Amino acid sequence: MIHPTEQISAYLDGELHGSELGQLMDHLSRCGKCSVELEQMQFVRSAVRSLPVLELPEGLISQADPVVVPLRRHKAMWAGVAAAVVVAAVALAAIVTPPPDEVSLQQLNSLIGARSTLDPAFGPAKVSISPLVGE
Amino acid sequence: MRRLVSLVAVLVVVPGTAAFAAELDELLEQGQEASYSAEQVISCATPDGMRDALVRIEQVGGELQLTSSVSGDVEVTAGAGGWTITSDEGLLAQATVERGDPADDELYVVEEEGAVEYLGRVAMAYLLVRDGEPRAELTIDDETGVVVEAVTLTLDTEVYCERRFVSLDTETPEIDKKSGDGVGDPPTPVETSSLPESVSGFELLDQYEDESGVRFAYYSDGFFSFALFETPSAVAVPEATPVELESGDYLRVFTAGQVTYVWETRDSGMALVGDLPPDLHQAVLAEMPRPEDPGLFRRWWRALFG
Repeated sequence: MIHPTEQISAYLDGELHGSELGQLMDHLSRCGKCSVELEQMQFVRSAVRSLPVLELPEGLISQADPVVVPLRRHKAMWAGVAAAVVVAAVALAAIVTPPPDEVSLQQLNSLIGARSTLDPAFGPAKVSISPLVGE
Repeated sequence: MRRLVSLVAVLVVVPGTAAFAAELDELLEQGQEASYSAEQVISCATPDGMRDALVRIEQVGGELQLTSSVSGDVEVTAGAGGWTITSDEGLLAQATVERGDPADDELYVVEEEGAVEYLGRVAMAYLLVRDGEPRAELTIDDETGVVVEAVTLTLDTEVYCERRFVSLDTETPEIDKKSGDGVGDPPTPVETSSLPESVSGFELLDQYEDESGVRFAYYSDGFFSFALFETPSAVAVPEATPVELESGDYLRVFTAGQVTYVWETRDSGMALVGDLPPDLHQAVLAEMPRPEDPGLFRRWWRALFG
């Protein structure tokens, strides 16, 4: 059996006439499921219609006026995209490019230790060359 | 040596000081030419605790070789106006030093403290005074002229660092030189610099730049010395602790005999390494380029282009 759901909706909207209206009435008299559906749809419609009507705040309509976007905005958009790509490329290069080798404390200590040995007369009295951090 | 001689000879204030200075100079000059081997203990009472090291020293005919018996992987050889650093991988760095003219206004006055016995040998003790404050005590072996003990003092005359020989053998040692096969070009002396020529009594003596762009300027006041490094990248000091001074915020790490301050300016990484007591280090830092955050963009620029 085919249930005429669309005809039920049209009936509630007052759009069925003549033979179509007769056929729906005949079907409803024999089909319990469609009768229940008609009752549910009537209930929902009456419930919605019983809701209070709210007034729009002043000025809301004017704020919601559509703005005409000129076509040239697309150029600016593409320029922005290009700039973002360049920035992203630079950032990526900065990230993936290994930084210059870090200078180790041992290297610095050795350099000054070596130079200190040539200080006037005090070489052995001054020099330390070992990487002794924490020892 | 000549620099120290002129230093102590020019500013003779106390009668007899000139004689002590000349005597000290003579001993030290003798010590530079001596041949010996020794073990030296370095012990420093730093604000972060004690720092100790044991260094093996060998000297033959004015050429000095030092090896850390703790790490054992770095050796320093100095003499004849230059120095080299070698490891098992070969030559790490080398440079020739062109010594400048002695300073006109030397800072130290020498006072003799008399004869003492050290390692069963006769030695002479001297006190070095800067700006009226005792800053170092030297004990010098009378026969060889070698400095067998050097004690540096804080401004409160507390012991800051002590370097003392625990053995001294005056037999001529055999220096086993490592290969000079290089790993990179040696640093080259450079003439110009934006760094100050004089800082708190320390004079800029010479400076170098290596192939990686690290600049190394060496300062001395006649006894204490420090090096200022300008580096394209940061100096790796994972053990360092933050320290706040009047001149800014730094990272600091003490090793046996030396302290390193690390900071950044807008243009480069900076490190100051020296054997100065804390008060002198802070005075020097106050006259150096101040710590400044380079910002994210400059960090990126340095990462990309050095």
